[in-house]
Amino acid sequence: MGLPDASGDLSSEMEVDAFRRLFPLRFYERHLAESIRPDGRPLGRARDTTIALGAVASADGSALAKIGSTTMLAAVKMEVMTPSMESPDEGCIAIDFHMPPICSPIVRPGRPAEAAPVVSKQLSDTISSSGMINLKELSLVSGKAAWMAYLDIYCLDADGALFDAALLSAVAALFHLQIPAVSLNDDGKIVVSEEDGGKLEKEPVNKEKRKLTLRSIPFSLTCILHKNYILADPTSEEEAIMETLVTVVLDSSSQLISLYKPGGAVLAYTSAVQDCIALTRQRVWELQKILDEANSGMEVD
Amino acid sequence: MEIDRVDGRTENQLRPLACSRNILNRAHGSASWSQGDTKVLAAVYGPKAGVKKNENPEKACVEVIWKPKTGQIGKLEKEYEMIVKRTLQSICILTINPNTTTSVIVQVLNDDGSLLPCAINAACAALIDAGIPLKHLAVAICCCLADSGYVILDPTKLEEQKMKAFAYLVFPNLILSVLPEGSLKVVGEPMEHAIITSVTQGAMSVDDYLHCLDRGRAATAKMSAFLRKTLQPQISSDSSKAG
Amino acid sequence: MAGRRGTNPTTYSPSLKTQKTRSTIFKDDWVRPDGRGFQQCRPAFFRTSAVTAASGSAYAEFGNTKVIVSVFGPRESKKAMMYSDIGRLNCNVSYTTFATPVRAQGSDRKDFSSMLHKALEGAVILETFPKTTVDVFALVLESGGSDLPVVISCASLALADAGILMYDLVTSVSLSCLGKNLVIDPILEEESYQDGSLMITCMPSRYEVTQLTITGEWSTPKINEGMQLCLDACSKLANIMRSCLKEATTTSQE
Repeated sequence: MGLPDASGDLSSEMEVDAFRRLFPLRFYERHLAESIRPDGRPLGRARDTTIALGAVASADGSALAKIGSTTMLAAVKMEVMTPSMESPDEGCIAIDFHMPPICSPIVRPGRPAEAAPVVSKQLSDTISSSGMINLKELSLVSGKAAWMAYLDIYCLDADGALFDAALLSAVAALFHLQIPAVSLNDDGKIVVSEEDGGKLEKEPVNKEKRKLTLRSIPFSLTCILHKNYILADPTSEEEAIMETLVTVVLDSSSQLISLYKPGGAVLAYTSAVQDCIALTRQRVWELQKILDEANSGMEVD
Repeated sequence: MEIDRVDGRTENQLRPLACSRNILNRAHGSASWSQGDTKVLAAVYGPKAGVKKNENPEKACVEVIWKPKTGQIGKLEKEYEMIVKRTLQSICILTINPNTTTSVIVQVLNDDGSLLPCAINAACAALIDAGIPLKHLAVAICCCLADSGYVILDPTKLEEQKMKAFAYLVFPNLILSVLPEGSLKVVGEPMEHAIITSVTQGAMSVDDYLHCLDRGRAATAKMSAFLRKTLQPQISSDSSKAG
Repeated sequence: MAGRRGTNPTTYSPSLKTQKTRSTIFKDDWVRPDGRGFQQCRPAFFRTSAVTAASGSAYAEFGNTKVIVSVFGPRESKKAMMYSDIGRLNCNVSYTTFATPVRAQGSDRKDFSSMLHKALEGAVILETFPKTTVDVFALVLESGGSDLPVVISCASLALADAGILMYDLVTSVSLSCLGKNLVIDPILEEESYQDGSLMITCMPSRYEVTQLTITGEWSTPKINEGMQLCLDACSKLANIMRSCLKEATTTSQE
């Protein structure tokens, strides 16, 4: 198969699958020396990525993102809240990342995955750092009512690079978000305006604000550092064998939103950091294109 | 460039450092670390027999429990636990005590900015106090980036909130001429120039980030000198504690 | 900013509760909201191997009802479990927070979990995997009515995909009683003002029922009529599921 010969080595007498299971690290290192990964990708290439907008009819905005087999479903539901005293003209966005038991053999009901709250926090930080959403746009009636956007992301299939896929589905869902037209009723509550009756009962309070202006869209790429190799967009198998991960988030204007390297056995030299950033730049361009295509596909329908 | 910091420090000046070790009786190792008003206490228990969940016949396991000053454990604490754990794992020699678990408990005493770096420094000092074999030290620092592009080190909470972006960085520090087997060398870059951990918040340009790296790296030299000075004289005196 | 769940202010959904006057359904010219005939099911779509991380999985879409079921195992039983000569089946059903029209905290549905367990238990040949557990986890991505029957049918397809031995595929169909009308495969709106419901889970090739649930007030002839409608629908559903499985094997062989 794809293995170079090693004379006198146990591996020459072993089946490839058995070798892969018994000596996963050596299996990978032999591939890396040939600048190829077991799934046939070059080291710096991400897996095939697709986005489908509007996957959930019951939500105000939704998107399904797939990177290889890693699948994320994100949906935004808009609810109304009373804004806080400190910021009466601002709405709020609450982001939560879920790993239900269907997504991976390591998650069981009642025993949530350790990764879920960490990814959740990373997503909130990234989206607030990037400043992609102007919270003022979520205001309805100053001091009285504002939108609370609940953005929930579900991992449907976990196969590595969870944060990348989660962020991609989250920004796509916000991109797809259509804010319902609402009006203030007599009880001082915000209700959805009914448009099917021909005439509106009340003037909607958010006539112009039906779509969010996304100032800059953050995209991310996770890389594995192993020895001198950099592997972009790892699968879960790769993540389990080589543990040092670096996640770089850049926005459309090439600002660095986050450089996240939580420890790991391999140290990141400045040259490696720069290589990761360069790979991410290329990826941002790819993802931007995929998102645009998903959006234009929607308009045709 | 002149800048005004509330406490009158220069941009590169750190707050007064304080470290005391062996402060808890029952723990196998403990240390407190403070940077100005930010103070963290760390305790190390172990290596002890591995728990079922963390069992690994080839490697030792490090677990971190983060105790906030007040209130419940939320996502932030979970994230910090994960970062501290992975950072400590990278400096411990995990193959020496396979199938064991070392618990590190991080208790926040006061948070006045740069909390995570302070906690990592405390945890590292506590590991040394417990006599856990380490590859090298980990020294953590927070670099803050202001709108006008200048960088200040070791910010207080107020400064952290005012600034547009900040980066928590952890650098390795060792005094060894021979690197341990298996570690890689990059031509032209000493090991001290690599980063163990990086966590950033807020948008910045890539050049600004690299600038932060340089400034942080320079400051950690001073911090590690302080750490070594504080910990060295005591190491010979209480070897009895290792058991 | 994007704060923790605990610190969030209380919120409410602005969508109106459109309370259709129930009396309309008693009129003779009442038509179902989606224009189907009373005895017509929604178009069913199935796909196997939707989740690569699982031993077997299936995705089902009936109108707006969208469900994913993953099967893990047979794998080691929980430590606390006693020794057992036969295998165990462990089922769990949960909903996403955005599954229902008004946002809910995504939660386990303990009642559905045990119903799913009971529905499948009789069909799975538990003797083939002694001492171990097969986990069947379902996630309702979007709730559009008749959720449980869809979950059950989808779960049996996922079990088949995982190669777990069964006596037959399990299919399930429900039916709502609205006034004097019996409507099959009801949507959420119809379920919300039903007088009674009937759900049958069966193994169509063996013509055996594994579960029958009836709620509300029913007369015996009505029950007979309803059961026959459901059983017919079940066998049609089984054909669709079988062709989905066949398709999956032929494409994988290519």
